[in-house]
Amino acid sequence: MEKNKTSEDSIKILNRRSFIIITVGAILSFIVSLRLFSLQVINFNFYKKKSVENKLSVKLTPPLRGEIYDSKKNLLAGSSSLYEFVVFKNLSKDHFTEIRKLDSLIKLNLNFSEISKQLKKYNKYSGYSLSRASWEQIVEFEKNKFLFNSIKIIESKKRYYPHQNFSQIIGYMGQSTQSSELYSKGVFHLEKSYEKHLRGTPGKIFSEVNAKGKTIREISIEKSIKGNDLDLTLDLTLQNYAQSQLPTDKKGSIVVISVSDGSILSMNSNPTFDAQIFEDRENTKIKDLLNDDQKPLFNRAFSGFYPPGSVFKPISALVGLQRNLIDPQKEVFCKGHSSLADRNYYCWKKEGHGKVNLKKAIKESCDVYFYELAKKTNIDDIASLSSNLGLNKEYDIGLSNMGKGLVPSKKWKKAFLDESWYQGETLITCIGQGYNQTSPLQLATLYSAILNGGKYPIPKLDKNTNTRFTGKLLNNEHQKIIINSLNAVVQEPRGTAYKLSISNPGYVKIGGKTGTSQVIRIKESERKDDQYKSKEIDERFQDHSVFVGYAPYHNPKYIASVIIENGGSGSAVAAPIAHKVLDFAYKNNV
Amino acid sequence: MFREFKSIYNLNWIYIFILFIIFWIGEINLYSAAGGSLDPWASNQLIRFLFFLPLFFLVTMLEPKFIYNFAEIFLILVLIGLITTLIFGYTGMGATRWIRIAGFNLQISEFTKIALVIFMAKYFHKLNAEKTIGLFKSILPLVVSIIFFILVAIQPDLGTAVIILVLGLVVIFYAGIKLIYPLLSLGIILSISPILWTFLKPYQQNRIQIFLNPDLDPLGKGYHIIQSKIAIGSGGLQGNGFLEGSQSSLDFLPEKETDFVFAIFSEQFGFTGSIMLISLFFIMFLIPVLKTYKLTQVFNKIILFVLSFKIFFEFLINISMTIGILPVVGVALPFMSYGGSSLLSNLIICALLLNFMSINEKKRMFS
Repeated sequence: MEKNKTSEDSIKILNRRSFIIITVGAILSFIVSLRLFSLQVINFNFYKKKSVENKLSVKLTPPLRGEIYDSKKNLLAGSSSLYEFVVFKNLSKDHFTEIRKLDSLIKLNLNFSEISKQLKKYNKYSGYSLSRASWEQIVEFEKNKFLFNSIKIIESKKRYYPHQNFSQIIGYMGQSTQSSELYSKGVFHLEKSYEKHLRGTPGKIFSEVNAKGKTIREISIEKSIKGNDLDLTLDLTLQNYAQSQLPTDKKGSIVVISVSDGSILSMNSNPTFDAQIFEDRENTKIKDLLNDDQKPLFNRAFSGFYPPGSVFKPISALVGLQRNLIDPQKEVFCKGHSSLADRNYYCWKKEGHGKVNLKKAIKESCDVYFYELAKKTNIDDIASLSSNLGLNKEYDIGLSNMGKGLVPSKKWKKAFLDESWYQGETLITCIGQGYNQTSPLQLATLYSAILNGGKYPIPKLDKNTNTRFTGKLLNNEHQKIIINSLNAVVQEPRGTAYKLSISNPGYVKIGGKTGTSQVIRIKESERKDDQYKSKEIDERFQDHSVFVGYAPYHNPKYIASVIIENGGSGSAVAAPIAHKVLDFAYKNNV
Repeated sequence: MFREFKSIYNLNWIYIFILFIIFWIGEINLYSAAGGSLDPWASNQLIRFLFFLPLFFLVTMLEPKFIYNFAEIFLILVLIGLITTLIFGYTGMGATRWIRIAGFNLQISEFTKIALVIFMAKYFHKLNAEKTIGLFKSILPLVVSIIFFILVAIQPDLGTAVIILVLGLVVIFYAGIKLIYPLLSLGIILSISPILWTFLKPYQQNRIQIFLNPDLDPLGKGYHIIQSKIAIGSGGLQGNGFLEGSQSSLDFLPEKETDFVFAIFSEQFGFTGSIMLISLFFIMFLIPVLKTYKLTQVFNKIILFVLSFKIFFEFLINISMTIGILPVVGVALPFMSYGGSSLLSNLIICALLLNFMSINEKKRMFS
């Protein structure tokens, strides 16, 4: 190695360059330090949070759902155990082969493409539920357990509905659409509206997980809190009895409410369905149910709206009395029809009722008396009293698809049909036909309002809510006249439901009103030659049979409202059913 | 070939002490990276270290003259090694970087850095530098640097290739090229960088794009940077404490034993620990550099300055990568990243530095 006689100058240059590079190195170190300061000191909280979020996993454990009881603590909806085949990806690499093996061993009819799609999304430490497991399947699985490393049987809870007659009130549960919620929630009727009340608080398992999602240790556990129970005003025995009284081949509904506090004691609709099939995921039955043109999911008690027919007449009578349009004693002559503007309006009794006062008009359901009254009446007075007595209202009691129905008025007709009101329409409205649309629950409430003297309790299903009254007080005298007449309907000879007193003298004595609501209007020509009576009318055009009654008539406790679609006359079909149900309620003191 | 044994007393033992401390920090770090276990990294790295130690002291005892004389031979050996790597090397993670020699997987590119610096030091020494060096005299070292850059870049190993090129440029700069040329070339590089961009492999372009915005791909390529920043940031001022780094122990940090060891260190020991580590490396850089001011021989000066710079530079590049101010290019943290070739080459560099620091030009002239 030759020694160079390097000049002083070139050494100086090297030393100067060295200084430059050291300076650059120091500046770079400083920049790095500043960056570290920014990350570790200034933004420490941000990164600390991220770090905790990384490692902390919160697993929710579903709470036990609150139970639903009838008024006597009979269970209507509870929880029962459910077993599922669950696959855990982390337990075996061959988990998909095992799924196929399971499917061929126990005929589960699994959808492999769907499962493999779902499995890809699943964290390998949280299991994926393949299918429900029946007892036979569990036994079969246990025998061959050694074949399956990645599949386990896991117990969880499902909703259990012991009595199918309540499905149309309690509703059912469904899978939550939000993926963040692990468990199903109520999607119909009370299960839906009382979701918050019933659901409870999920438990939380806080655990530390690694980057692959594997739990390293559990940090803390918050136990789940069971949901609140719900006590209903319904009575199990009455509900079952009333359902048995509905003709199985006809659509219809029975509502029984308590006069004193508006408690709904039973509320039936036919046809009905069994909510359990949703919990048991019986897909064919669910499909059949949804496609059934009888619409079993449709509860006629509060979603079904019909012309009330003659049970509406007390409202017309009360308007007449309030407006001084009628004298209750003064008689009107019924010759079978009444005319207005060259048109005849017929009484149901073709030969006429003869001389009729108010009581007789209600008792024998004379239409002509009410036509004469209607000629002097303003439709808006009818509408306003109807609303005061519980019609044209939705009751907020947690039921899905509750409607308001319709009480026609001038304003309504202008707004919806863009036509002005004709007095002839008042005539048919006053006998409960025409545009009138009421539900059986509304009719029960209407009679509750009359029996309570105008201020009536709003119907309720939740036993633990306070009774709330609404409506305007009626004149005491007017109320007495109406109730007397309604009692006479059943209790006095020639009353439209007098037959009830004769055929079942042992039953509780009731009052009430029959109604026959026309599905089609009868043509003038047909009426003249009695064609409409002899004619074979297609069943779906036959009259609806309506009856609203209360028992016992001297001190009413229960109101029953019955409608049988296309059942014929109210006195023949609906009234005997209502009488039986009222008798049952009274004798069993529900 | 070797000096007398007693010259071992002339070694800078402070430097050796700092080196051992840094290695020991690296060991502790690898131990914590494995979740408090010697297995698999800390023990392996320690065995390598002990195995390399005799070689380390052997190099400190080499006659500088021997190194000077064989400068070209070293470079040719490395060149053959690199070409062999390209042809016979084995491939891992999409790159052909290693060859097997006597049962070891060697990354020749690591040793290229040393050979290149030695070669260029000799070149400039021979130039008998008068004043500043013109462009013409710089062309040979530049071309050699670029050849090695390309040979490593096509493995592909962009990180190491860039380090090789930078070292070549630093030698040229340090040796005293006229300032106008580096400034001019910087201008040219900046203006043609868009064209260079198109020569990058898609994964390299990807890394740079994600470096600029890691949230483009938070679960894919950006994951490394994001998780590394979380680890470092969550360390805070004081750190989470020894073995208390959750990002590391719960495996959120990828490549934690190699490129991202600094994140593990910083998560446990915080800003304080990080600044201490930077200071240690800076002191380690300065000790040989300060010695250069006492030397007059260009060869000695370049070896001491540039090789010392190499260790510090790689340290800075590596931590800049982990804190997200440079793209992730795969540069190891000297003495702390797990890996044999990097450890061996850095030990050889330190041995060379110790060797050249013990030179007393007044007493022992080149003859």
